[in-house]
Amino acid sequence: MVIALIISMIILVLMGMVPRALPIIAAATGELVDQNAGTLNLGVEGMMLLGTVVGFFTDFYTKSLLLAFLVAGIAGLLLSLLHAVAAISLKADQVVSGTAIWFIGWGLSGVIYRALFGNYLIPPTLSALPHLQLPILTSIPIVGPIIFGEDPVAYFILIMVVIVHYFLFHTQTGLNLRTVGEDPRTAEEMGVNPKRYRYGATMFGGFMAGIGGAYLTIAVTGTFYYDLTAGLGFIAVALIYFGKWKPFRSLLGCLIFGAVYVIFLVIQTYFQSIPYQFFAMWPYLAIVAILAGVAAKSGGPAALAKPYEKGE
Amino acid sequence: MAETARVLALVGFVFLAVFISSLLFSLFGISPLIGLASLFQLGFGSRGGLAATVGGMVPLLIMAIGLSVPFTARIWNIGGQGQFVIGSIMATWVGLELAKSAPAAIVIPAAMLASFFGGAVWLIPPILMRIYRGINEVITTLMMNFVAVFLLDWLITGPMEGRQAFALNEPSSAPIPSSLMLPTLVRGTNIGVGLVFALLIAFGMFFVLKYTRLGYELRLIGDSVEAAKYAGIPIERNLLLASLISGGIAGVAGMVQIYGATGILLPQVFSDITTSYGYLGIPVALIASLNPIAIILSAFFFSGILTGAYGMELAYDIPIDVVTAVYGMVMFLAPLGFYIKFTKRKLHF
Repeated sequence: MVIALIISMIILVLMGMVPRALPIIAAATGELVDQNAGTLNLGVEGMMLLGTVVGFFTDFYTKSLLLAFLVAGIAGLLLSLLHAVAAISLKADQVVSGTAIWFIGWGLSGVIYRALFGNYLIPPTLSALPHLQLPILTSIPIVGPIIFGEDPVAYFILIMVVIVHYFLFHTQTGLNLRTVGEDPRTAEEMGVNPKRYRYGATMFGGFMAGIGGAYLTIAVTGTFYYDLTAGLGFIAVALIYFGKWKPFRSLLGCLIFGAVYVIFLVIQTYFQSIPYQFFAMWPYLAIVAILAGVAAKSGGPAALAKPYEKGE
Repeated sequence: MAETARVLALVGFVFLAVFISSLLFSLFGISPLIGLASLFQLGFGSRGGLAATVGGMVPLLIMAIGLSVPFTARIWNIGGQGQFVIGSIMATWVGLELAKSAPAAIVIPAAMLASFFGGAVWLIPPILMRIYRGINEVITTLMMNFVAVFLLDWLITGPMEGRQAFALNEPSSAPIPSSLMLPTLVRGTNIGVGLVFALLIAFGMFFVLKYTRLGYELRLIGDSVEAAKYAGIPIERNLLLASLISGGIAGVAGMVQIYGATGILLPQVFSDITTSYGYLGIPVALIASLNPIAIILSAFFFSGILTGAYGMELAYDIPIDVVTAVYGMVMFLAPLGFYIKFTKRKLHF
């Protein structure tokens, strides 16, 4: 009896953790490329928020999943472009610029939603994403639905992690990009244009953050509410530190985060006498604790958040 | 002369930022220029609007002063919101516990001390992590905001729950006795002693940052940590002290808001930017280039935008979130005003 309960809980957690983790995986994977090129964009949260609303309304009106994610990604990209201009070309303080990006995305998401949908008592919702139903594979007990039964966007995000890993560590362009993040002057002497790489990386980060945000509304909640991300963008950045700027380690961090998130949701239903707030606050405390355990400069790009000036 | 040009450029870019944000009004069928005009009209143009703006600038001003201290050393305390919440919890708790046994002249200073202490303590773990392990304080201070908000939520639905919580459909604490409320100075407005507190804090911190060794050393650290280290300045001690002052003042902002305005602990909805002074304070401090006297003006300006946006929501059903976009846009574009003078230098802010 107890064993059956435990097994069913484990299955519940395994099923629930992937969708919970995916928005963070998308955002972290994008921002990781950005940081490997030496730019710190703390506006991930804002770009995700913009993605939540843009993805939501595009899906709501066009019913096209592809278009929804594409437009959300482009919205995140455009917002990140602001950061790129400030941080890379104008050499502004990246913390300030990133915070500004966060505010802009936060404000825009609320305004756009109200402009399009007004004040609904019952917010409009989207129909659930189609899940893959591969014959045989999805019918494998437990493992089948988890690995083979996700929605198509989930696979896109996961494949992006692999692509980013391959790109960063197995291609010349990826090596160049990391050199830009470590030592932009050497990169320039090698004939690499640091600014161009940083622009590209920042825009990729914005695109992925937008996708992550859209995944949150379209696949996880099915509806939009204000400040939906509730810190997920910052958590994504924290998990990059945990992952030591490597895609697979960050992915692992995101999955663990998603798993523990779901575990607490499950435990919460068994201990209803404990106020829910103590369950709700744990993810944030956990991130602080995780960061406390990660040594600071462990493998971080040396030129992170330092603007590059030619011939300096 | 160059200084005048710089200020003019800054003001110009601030207005440009507000104008770009006002393009959002067209989403609601209002032309940006007319929307902008009514935003300023509602915020600054009438006696009522102006009074609301001056009254409403108190928490913004105190918060921005608190944030400016570590910002000077380029330590980014984004956790002002959490420190504000903890400060308001401590102040309310002291008020409710002590009111029966002690006069207001003792309770109010005690509440202020408690809120200072609470806010400062809330910032200690992230700042120690920053100083001794180099961990990005932006993320950790932000995470602590969420923890504080959930703590508050639990307190007002549990141990500190008010029995007859007004006609509000929301949970809240019991109100502090009205004898503890800070008196208003102008009849019929919310301009009160809180504003005096805020101004005192501003002038006090102006003195500290400008004329004391702490202020001098913080500026050196802000310019270059390496150079400061080379000059033998105790980095850790200065950063810790600056952060404790920062968290403490943010906590006091929470106390003044309870004792000067609300009188009651209300739930902090995280998505409600209009009461999230810890976030709103960031651009207020930055636009004033962290100068406490300039922050008084900047708090007045931003408070006016907030008042105007409230009015716009009532008049045209334009969501208050416009404010967040405006603040972000100002934060984003205002540095260009500084850039005009410092073209040879870093866009340092």
